[in-house]
Amino acid sequence: MTASPDSRIPLTLLGGFLGSGKTTWLRHQLHSGEMTEALVVVNEAADVPVDDMLLFKSSEIRLLAGGCACCEGKERLIALLRQFCDERVDDRYTGKRHEHIVLETSGLADPGPIVDAIRTDSILMHHIVVREIIVAVDALHGIGYLTSEPLGRRQVETGDRLIITKADAVDEDALRQLRATLQSINPGAAISASAMGSKVALPDISDAKAVDLRVLGDGDPRPVISTSIKLAEGTDWTAFGLWLSAILHARGDDLVRVKGVMRTPSGRLLLQSVRKVVQSPEILPASVAAGKDENSIVFIGRGFRPRDLRMSLKRFAGLSLADDPPPDHQEAI
Amino acid sequence: MCANCGFPAAPGHWTEVGMDETHDRLQARYRRAGLLRAVLRNHGLSAHDDATTPGITISTLTGNHEVAHDLTAVWEVAEKLSGRPVDPLAPEFIGDDEETAGQGASG
Repeated sequence: MTASPDSRIPLTLLGGFLGSGKTTWLRHQLHSGEMTEALVVVNEAADVPVDDMLLFKSSEIRLLAGGCACCEGKERLIALLRQFCDERVDDRYTGKRHEHIVLETSGLADPGPIVDAIRTDSILMHHIVVREIIVAVDALHGIGYLTSEPLGRRQVETGDRLIITKADAVDEDALRQLRATLQSINPGAAISASAMGSKVALPDISDAKAVDLRVLGDGDPRPVISTSIKLAEGTDWTAFGLWLSAILHARGDDLVRVKGVMRTPSGRLLLQSVRKVVQSPEILPASVAAGKDENSIVFIGRGFRPRDLRMSLKRFAGLSLADDPPPDHQEAI
Repeated sequence: MCANCGFPAAPGHWTEVGMDETHDRLQARYRRAGLLRAVLRNHGLSAHDDATTPGITISTLTGNHEVAHDLTAVWEVAEKLSGRPVDPLAPEFIGDDEETAGQGASG
């Protein structure tokens, strides 16, 4: 007797902490011709999405912004996937019929509840099968958030495959230590490494010592908040860069993620930072369609009030804001 | 950045991205020095950039000075020379001298 083939659509879940390099990795896979036929679903916790602009090589992208798919965005994720399943079996549907789904979660999402939601939904369980959970782990900051963030550790624990990203940013000893640490957290996962999405060799860990993570308690009790600030048209990039470099120097351990697309005389700059490290801004090619949220910068982190950022932009850098003043807009996430 | 990806990363400090023309770079350096002078005044410091030699000179009122090779280094030098960090969320920059800004954040 042979089992009938599983006709359900495989779903690959791509997770990882804030700024861990998920989108860069996925972008490279798409450019390399992998996953190009997949439906890519991008979930961003912030209201202002950025990552979808980077994944233009995919055949289709659907965006879930403004809430993690593991908590407040879960219902919308289920609705989106149900709609996809309906379309797939609808003879009248004229759009592309995908045979693979890639779900890139927000950096604040726990993959576990997402997978549970898909596996237990009365409709999705018959149409979609979670094939693999891939978790990106930042070589530069991985040990830091594995030590301090329970969520970062939960993400690693759930991965079938762990990809150490930004492997070129640290030396071999640091890579070996991170690999050994990941193996101690999730001994069953396959571990590989990449730099800008390209696979790189991992050093041997036979004599490497894992970081002792037992000291992790409940993590930082301060809630992570997300806020976006829309800069005025024609904002002075020099002044904004000066302000951002200063605030990341002083508060980069709390300001976990800053990202956005900023219009400058030189073009549209894609700005991204992870803690104190700013990725060299990219000038987006003209072929990437302009988004309605350009000039909005997203700030995710702890220990600041949105109004403080706004006031500081004005007083420290002398900048004007386009969306001033919403009354202390913030969402705990 | 992978050449296949089509997003060439710009060289130099990240704040200088897009300034390919000489006059753009000069203009930005003068503008940056002016902004720095205004920001660092509260710390008893001054900034000077002649736009012809590399780096930004940070000076104290007594003439002690140090050259910072880029903007990231400026904040380190300023902290070292003034003895306190330059924090854009400090009360003087958020108009909030009574409440503690940042609720426990560094700085």
